[in-house]
Amino acid sequence: MELLAPAGSLDMLRVAVENGADSIYVGPRGWSRRRDAFELPDDAIRESVRIAHAGGAKLRIAVNTNMQSRELPMLLERMATYVSWDVDGAIMTDVGAIAKVHEQFPFLTIHASIGANILNNEDVRFYRSIGVRQVVADTKLTLNELASRKSDIDVGIEVLIHSNKCYTYLGKCWMSPYHRLERTVDPFGKDLFKGSPNRGGLDHRVCLESWELYQGAQLLEPRVALKNDAFFLVDDIPKLIDLGVHCLKIQGREYSVPLVGRIVRFYRELIDSYRARPQGEPFDLAPWKNRLSSIQSWRDEERSQSTAVLLAEARQPVAARSSG
Amino acid sequence: MNDFELNTTISNLKNLRETDLSSFDGVYLGNIYCRLFEQNFLERLDDLKEGIQRVKDAGLLAYVTTYAAPRNSFLPKLRKVLEVASSANADAVEAHNLGVLRIAHEEFPGLPIHVGGFANVYTDSGAAVLEEHGARRITPNYELSLEEIDELAHGANLPTEILVHGKMPLGISDYCFLLDYEEKWGVNCPTLCQLPLFVKRDTWAMRSVGKGIMSGKDVCMLEHLPRLVASGHRTFRIEAAYETPAYRKEVGGVYREAIAAALSKGLYSVADRWWATVREHAPVGLCNGFYFGKTGMEYLGAESGMLTPFTLHATAVE
Repeated sequence: MELLAPAGSLDMLRVAVENGADSIYVGPRGWSRRRDAFELPDDAIRESVRIAHAGGAKLRIAVNTNMQSRELPMLLERMATYVSWDVDGAIMTDVGAIAKVHEQFPFLTIHASIGANILNNEDVRFYRSIGVRQVVADTKLTLNELASRKSDIDVGIEVLIHSNKCYTYLGKCWMSPYHRLERTVDPFGKDLFKGSPNRGGLDHRVCLESWELYQGAQLLEPRVALKNDAFFLVDDIPKLIDLGVHCLKIQGREYSVPLVGRIVRFYRELIDSYRARPQGEPFDLAPWKNRLSSIQSWRDEERSQSTAVLLAEARQPVAARSSG
Repeated sequence: MNDFELNTTISNLKNLRETDLSSFDGVYLGNIYCRLFEQNFLERLDDLKEGIQRVKDAGLLAYVTTYAAPRNSFLPKLRKVLEVASSANADAVEAHNLGVLRIAHEEFPGLPIHVGGFANVYTDSGAAVLEEHGARRITPNYELSLEEIDELAHGANLPTEILVHGKMPLGISDYCFLLDYEEKWGVNCPTLCQLPLFVKRDTWAMRSVGKGIMSGKDVCMLEHLPRLVASGHRTFRIEAAYETPAYRKEVGGVYREAIAAALSKGLYSVADRWWATVREHAPVGLCNGFYFGKTGMEYLGAESGMLTPFTLHATAVE
């Protein structure tokens, strides 16, 4: 079972490797579900592969935006380059892109992204049939649902262990671009769709606004929350290991490098300690929960700051469509 | 025979009985958001059977939709829904989930499948993959612009369905936050989500149906029907799962007339009475969704004092 860590920069990648990640994912600029500031230019992708492999880790490339039809040839060209650099896998969403990449690079492991929103076993079978080997489980699935998936289907299962559970299903939400969408084409011809997490990665997190609830013109509630909770799954990690999931994934390319280093170290040690316990011995999670609480506060602070910035950006007027 | 199709959505038998369908060519039966929606066709198989028959007796196309976010526990019931759709000769089922598409294609091979807007079809290659898995019609993801939809339709060679009016789906959840207010408001599930509820903040507004969230403004493509028709689109939907029978009748009537006008050779213009009707049914206003590559809640067109892309093009040609 592998521990998969995020890298929004080369520094983050080095820190993730040093702190024990088995594999790291990075996004090429414009092509993954994060804003471009946390994606990497191609020269850095090549360096990422070198650093990861030198540290004994695998490198996955996240090309999980929902692109335009006309952008698919561009993606295939890029994939040929990344494959020639020995990336170990691709995280993808669009079924057409998945089928094409699998057809051209049948040896490459394709991971269906969280954005594919794969919710049931028949869904998994569909993605298996077009070439997907591992599937990221939606954050709302239960352990029973994962167990059924594991026992029924020959597929790798990845579980987010440090992330947020949105009000909506990931990949099935376009609240953000409904409120602000900025079209910017990068120098390589990729439309960045700023404001659309499904298409370009920048999510304004409008669900976290302080919404009021109205019935017609009548204010019913001055503050309603579209529930969005952080989760860390410390209690579930032993169960997930016992269940035999293939990958535990940490989300957070946008966090600071020291925070990601600390998160990766925490989960590395937790996983290793659980696996090293004497057979049949109970495993005490209390000290791990204590240790997590300071990481959680640090992470919550960084996230609430970034949410405030994103919501403020959502109120800004949209500039005329531009080429970058 | 019609040279276009105008369809709509109806969640239960009660609503179907109350709706004047004379403006429509087809109806999608069922509520895609919630299993607990009042008397949801997808949970009441006898009602579904009667609904299909009723629509067909009216000379219309009877489609059966399915849940937008089905978990494993939904699948046994959905298989039964597909069985009913098949045995009652529904004209198609709509799959928003690729697992459901797979079940329909493999287990009910005679049943035509339409792929819904929550299935996330963004590319022509994606549509082609789904065609291999039995799809016969695609509603592209709502985030696509008309330019992108045209590319997709051209590349995939599959008919596309376009939402021309109504509240555009923006997201789906497994969690109904409205249930927190049952006691306080004295209104219970399953009627709670049928209240006209909007979450608002300053100029922002979204329609909430508990497990679903939709645009606060009604997508309105009245002004742009000639553009759609010129691009070859012939299948149009008025999204009305949470609207009243009056909404369907009146807005449907406007579009029936407007699409016919857009398809005729004469000069097309939006009649004042059409504006009056759609405005009356859109308390938060109108928008174009993502069709012009803009922020979804914007409206582009003569109605906003701006020239439409179609008008610009026509002027340039002249």
